[in-house]
Amino acid sequence: MDTGGDTSEEATGSSTMSAAQRRAEMRRRKLLLNSEDRLNRIVGFAKNGSDNNGTKAQPNRCRAQRVDIIMSRRASRRPAEPRFHLDLDRTEPWSPSSSSQRPSPFLPESSALSSLSHTATPERRGSPLPDCSEPPPAVEDDVGALRQRLKGERAPSDNISGSPRRGLQNYLSRFDDAMKLRGQLASEKPTQDGGVETEEFDPFRVFRLVGSILLAVFVRMFVCKYLSIFAPFLTLELAYMGLSKYFPKVEKKTKTTVLTAALLLSGIPAEVINRSMDTYRRMGDVFSDLCLYFFTFVLCHELLLLCGSETP
Amino acid sequence: MAAGYAWFLVLGSVFLCNLMKTFLSTLSSLLSKMIQKDAEQESEMRTEIQGMKMEQSSISMMDEFAKYARLERKINKTTDKLKTHVKSRTAQQAKVKWVVNIVFYIAQAALMVSLIWKYYSDPVTVVPSRWIAPVERLVAFPTGVPGGVGITCWLVVCNKVVTISKLL
Repeated sequence: MDTGGDTSEEATGSSTMSAAQRRAEMRRRKLLLNSEDRLNRIVGFAKNGSDNNGTKAQPNRCRAQRVDIIMSRRASRRPAEPRFHLDLDRTEPWSPSSSSQRPSPFLPESSALSSLSHTATPERRGSPLPDCSEPPPAVEDDVGALRQRLKGERAPSDNISGSPRRGLQNYLSRFDDAMKLRGQLASEKPTQDGGVETEEFDPFRVFRLVGSILLAVFVRMFVCKYLSIFAPFLTLELAYMGLSKYFPKVEKKTKTTVLTAALLLSGIPAEVINRSMDTYRRMGDVFSDLCLYFFTFVLCHELLLLCGSETP
Repeated sequence: MAAGYAWFLVLGSVFLCNLMKTFLSTLSSLLSKMIQKDAEQESEMRTEIQGMKMEQSSISMMDEFAKYARLERKINKTTDKLKTHVKSRTAQQAKVKWVVNIVFYIAQAALMVSLIWKYYSDPVTVVPSRWIAPVERLVAFPTGVPGGVGITCWLVVCNKVVTISKLL
């Protein structure tokens, strides 16, 4: 009978739909299980991101989640145009492991599922997180916070190697980094070609130099007969280290040079480079103080010899 | 052992080199102006173009199209000539600047090498060795004289001091 035939078709259809619904429900539950953990990681990393940039505690899946967040947001506006977000400060290669586990919003299966089940719709439409009770974070805040967090991360469970998609993403991100660094180098080259670089006036630096000169004169007049001239200098430098916090800090703009660009592209984190450059700058300051101190000492010595007031 | 004013000679040389480096660009532009003899031609062309443009603005294109078009062609021709002239002048300027820089750096290198050669075994000044302990050997390099200040150390110190004074 027709009703019997219709009933069998309906039963098959309902069993197919329910199987698809079941799969969607299983995926949703799997995501919900980790939602709290994911949220803690996001919130926790937003607080500690600036302090612990070098930590490697977070899995690599968050990178893929960020991609999914951005893609799902933009898919709601322009579903036909997928976008990739590239991280300038990225230090580790991208891992699409978790993104491969989640269905893409552009696949027909997920769109069919979203049209069929209301439970799947919030995940696809606006909220990237399966837990709809929390408001989704702003994309720009995500990007800014996650950039800080994802430096030096490596998930112990991510052992996918040889993935062509990861290689392509790696290549694209490196290419993007190289283009941006090239632009920065090109913009900084005209300022360097202009001659002597104009540095910001640093009162502490002037204080150091004047202190070195005065100490050299004092040491030549009174101290050099009794001990080495470098002992007072070392004492002075130790005093400067303690006094530096009482002076206003002058923000020194980090210049992009060929060396820093090469180091960045070779995978060395930006923080390591910045710290090294800072240490090198401090050593340069000490060397400048030493040169000025020694020069003033020798000058005083020669002037005194010229005047004939003292014999060594 | 040490010349009385060797330290002053080295200091003066370093100071002079740094001063010359500051005025290199001015020197190269002066030299290029002296070498280029047809600089007046360029200013004449500019004046001519300006005059023609003023004349063109007074002509109505609708009423005297032929005259307007002739003037336009003249302006274009003179502008192209001026562009070629400016291009060749700029290239010549760059060449002169390059030559001046090369000559300066060769002269500076020669001066430094001659100073090091002259004071290789003589320190520029001598102080009691206990004053500069424990680095007296490093300071005295390459003379080996106890308590002496070697030419290399003094050159480094003078360069640094002159650089600092320029920044200040």
